[in-house]
Amino acid sequence: MKGARLHPLVVMALLLGAGVMLAPMVWTLLLSFKSNAALMADSGAAFSGPYTLENYAAILKGSLTLQWLANSLIVATGATVGVLVLSSLAGYGFARLEFPFRRTLFVIVLLGLAVPEQAVILPRHQLFAMLGLHNSYPGLILPSLTGSFGVFFMTQYFRAIPKELDEAALLDGASRFTLFWKVLLPLTFPAQATLGVFTFLAAWNDYWWPLISATTSDRFTLTVGLASAQMNYAQTSGLGFLMAQAVFASIPILVVYIAFQKQIVRAMAGTAVR
Amino acid sequence: MTAALRDRLAGYAFVGPFLLVYAAVLIVPLVMGIVISLHRADLFGRREWIGLDNYAQALGDPVLHQAFGNTVLLAVLIVPPLTVIALLLALALNRPGKFAAVLRGVFFSSLVLSVTIVTLIWRFILTPDAGLIAEGLEAAGRAPIPFLSDPDLVIPAIAVTTLWWSLGFPVMLILAGLQQVPGDIYEAAALDGAGRWTVLRRITLPAIRRTLLLVVMLQTAAQLQLFGQAQLLTGGGPGGASRTIVLYIFEVSFGRWELGYATAIAELLFGMIIALTLLQYWLVTRHEEPRA
Amino acid sequence: MSGLELIDVSKSYGATPVLERVSLSVLPREFIAFLGPSGSGKSTLLRIIAGLETADSGEVWLDGERIDTRSPGARGIAMVFQHYALYPHMTVRENMAFGLRNAGVARDEITRRIAQAADILEIAEQLDKKPGQMSGGQRQRVAIGRAIIKQPRLFLLDEPLSNLDAALRGRTRVELAQLRTRVDAALIMVTHDQAEAMTLADRIVILDDCCIQQVGTPAEVYARPANAFVARFVGSPPMAMLPATIAGEEAGRVCVRLAEGTVLATAVPAGELVAGTEVEVGLRPEHVRLAAPGEAGLAAQVELVERLGDRTFLYAKLEGGAEIIALEPGFGTVRPGDAVTLAIDAPCAHVFTASGAAHHPEPRA
Repeated sequence: MKGARLHPLVVMALLLGAGVMLAPMVWTLLLSFKSNAALMADSGAAFSGPYTLENYAAILKGSLTLQWLANSLIVATGATVGVLVLSSLAGYGFARLEFPFRRTLFVIVLLGLAVPEQAVILPRHQLFAMLGLHNSYPGLILPSLTGSFGVFFMTQYFRAIPKELDEAALLDGASRFTLFWKVLLPLTFPAQATLGVFTFLAAWNDYWWPLISATTSDRFTLTVGLASAQMNYAQTSGLGFLMAQAVFASIPILVVYIAFQKQIVRAMAGTAVR
Repeated sequence: MTAALRDRLAGYAFVGPFLLVYAAVLIVPLVMGIVISLHRADLFGRREWIGLDNYAQALGDPVLHQAFGNTVLLAVLIVPPLTVIALLLALALNRPGKFAAVLRGVFFSSLVLSVTIVTLIWRFILTPDAGLIAEGLEAAGRAPIPFLSDPDLVIPAIAVTTLWWSLGFPVMLILAGLQQVPGDIYEAAALDGAGRWTVLRRITLPAIRRTLLLVVMLQTAAQLQLFGQAQLLTGGGPGGASRTIVLYIFEVSFGRWELGYATAIAELLFGMIIALTLLQYWLVTRHEEPRA
Repeated sequence: MSGLELIDVSKSYGATPVLERVSLSVLPREFIAFLGPSGSGKSTLLRIIAGLETADSGEVWLDGERIDTRSPGARGIAMVFQHYALYPHMTVRENMAFGLRNAGVARDEITRRIAQAADILEIAEQLDKKPGQMSGGQRQRVAIGRAIIKQPRLFLLDEPLSNLDAALRGRTRVELAQLRTRVDAALIMVTHDQAEAMTLADRIVILDDCCIQQVGTPAEVYARPANAFVARFVGSPPMAMLPATIAGEEAGRVCVRLAEGTVLATAVPAGELVAGTEVEVGLRPEHVRLAAPGEAGLAAQVELVERLGDRTFLYAKLEGGAEIIALEPGFGTVRPGDAVTLAIDAPCAHVFTASGAAHHPEPRA
């Protein structure tokens, strides 16, 4: 059935579905190129010219959008690097090393998969307030680093690497660290790419935590910043400007996604889901 | 130092950094949460032990009851359709070729957007005041529909928005599951003269039942925690008709500053999610042979 | 003392013993094969020598130095793994250099040795390829190259041919035979394939049931198997084992009576084999043939005919159910189901007692 031709009705349904997926995005894109004044008069004007770049110019000029963009980039990059480093180390440790309580600790980590954000977010807000971490980059990044999924994912990936490679390296006189760093870690790059993209995506799009942790507007991430702009859009900026912000905020994530799409799909189809 | 001891230390050196962060930023708050929920507490550090009073209050809170109803309704309106649509899409798109590849890209695309952008877009699609749907209705000579201010329509509107936003990840997971099914099973089935429908029902679906279970468990947990869409699209209105449990937690903690009570509600939600997840897992796996 | 010396090596996994007090001496430059069924402990023994597993007790010495206390990389041992274990992300050159770099060998010395090994193994063209771009045979050579280049004192091969198809296997066998002329080291090969062991090894170590059953040259283990297990295990098709009792002796050699009544006069010295003892008579296929017309012999029914072109094996059943295998030169005309008479070369028969102990024929003085 894999190679079978699709029924014309199925093709129609797929195209219709694709239209539903794309129409809102296309519409947003069109709106972002319309002047606020023209939209004020008639929002249906989106489907015809004239189009303008004035909304994008406005973003680049005065507003806080660029600051929010920088914050988002720092937070998402920090979270990604942190998760990759911690998960790779822990994944190797759980998959390959023998130490007391290894199984117990691994089960404790796995249990974290079942803990919803709601169970910890309020006390964590209290804890970070005591530690003075709110409105800081570490405060925004740290919660992303507790994800059990990365450790689970990397552990599975390390386990799938044949042990013969470790043994060959040991006979080649490699130390534990050389073995990890020069032999095994390079083999996990596909997994790193997948985990990295999903971590970046999640951190970039996170809303709940930055909403309560970043309270001064210069510490907002793009997600929170756009939300605040959306709340009071009536008073300040126009519809076109808002939509331009939305498009602008999606560009980095789209770039990351497109750049790594191959690795994501390959890793998901391959060793990832076992 | 013996080799065995060095190996143990190496083990802790590798897993230690993660465990440290995990303990400090996840386990400590998890325990703190249980403690706080037993106190009358505010955001500024006031604590007064009240035992289970917060939980008793929650059970009799009509606003929470409404939010609970809204949340369950949303989950019911989102999870089953999402799973079915994602399954159908994955089945249709699990094939080589450009056409399928492009469509996969299209259906994955919305998952990269943040909730802020999704609600921004959908607010202006749904608004009766010159929204995309209103424009369409107007062109057809019909009156615009106030999706976000009609108490009967606001929940379905949020559900549709969420479906549009959440579709990509389940499709991706199910596609990955489908690709794990060994091709020779299909060849054997073809030799056995099985038709398309039989192959789907007797071979494909059983082979990906664990993936489907994962999708349902993840989505149930996610939708029971639905927050951003409701907060940004409607603020929970009109008249609380779209207030979800998490939105209520947010209001109680950061609007009314009743941290203890908000935490107690969060613990109840936690328990509910765990119970549902376990129930789903048990329902799907109880007939399976124990796996070696 | 040079060479490899194993002293009382024991190993168990939990309550399951794998090796029990195994001792063995391997001479310098000797080619040894560990042969045994799966689960016989042969791989574990190899891994203990390499340092990939730790023995529960016992010692491993190499060239007069005790090595079982050292890390695998510091033993002067190189190993070719069953699945080659080439590092997939490194080129062939980097694969070969990795061990030398870890050992701190100078850069130009590494380059020199790689060039030399690549030359010998004819993989000079492939040095900048990655393992994924190579065929199975080429990967095997790289794995051998990676081992040679370390100039080890002991060379270990774990099932080196099991991953290759039949055609490549023959060629690689020749290469392995050449390998020993190129390395100044003892070689130990683990295999479950007796043809490999017989062709390549100077001596074969046969393992089963946690213990060494026999150590000997291929000719010794074939002609004078130490016990019933070795007799059954070595030789293809295997030695037939016929239940019998000792009937008496004749000029110091025992006569045995087969279950179906025939008495055979063997060349096995009587020794402590007294009349009435239950034994098994072992007969290689080449000592059983179709009787000439009129010649006396054992009546048997042919069950399976294995035609190999130059010779044919007949798998037959005697009256009473004992299984026997006969060798017939050429293509043969016998078909399954045929009733035949088999002539037996009784002076070549072996006798095994119930405990498995072997009694071999001896020519008369």
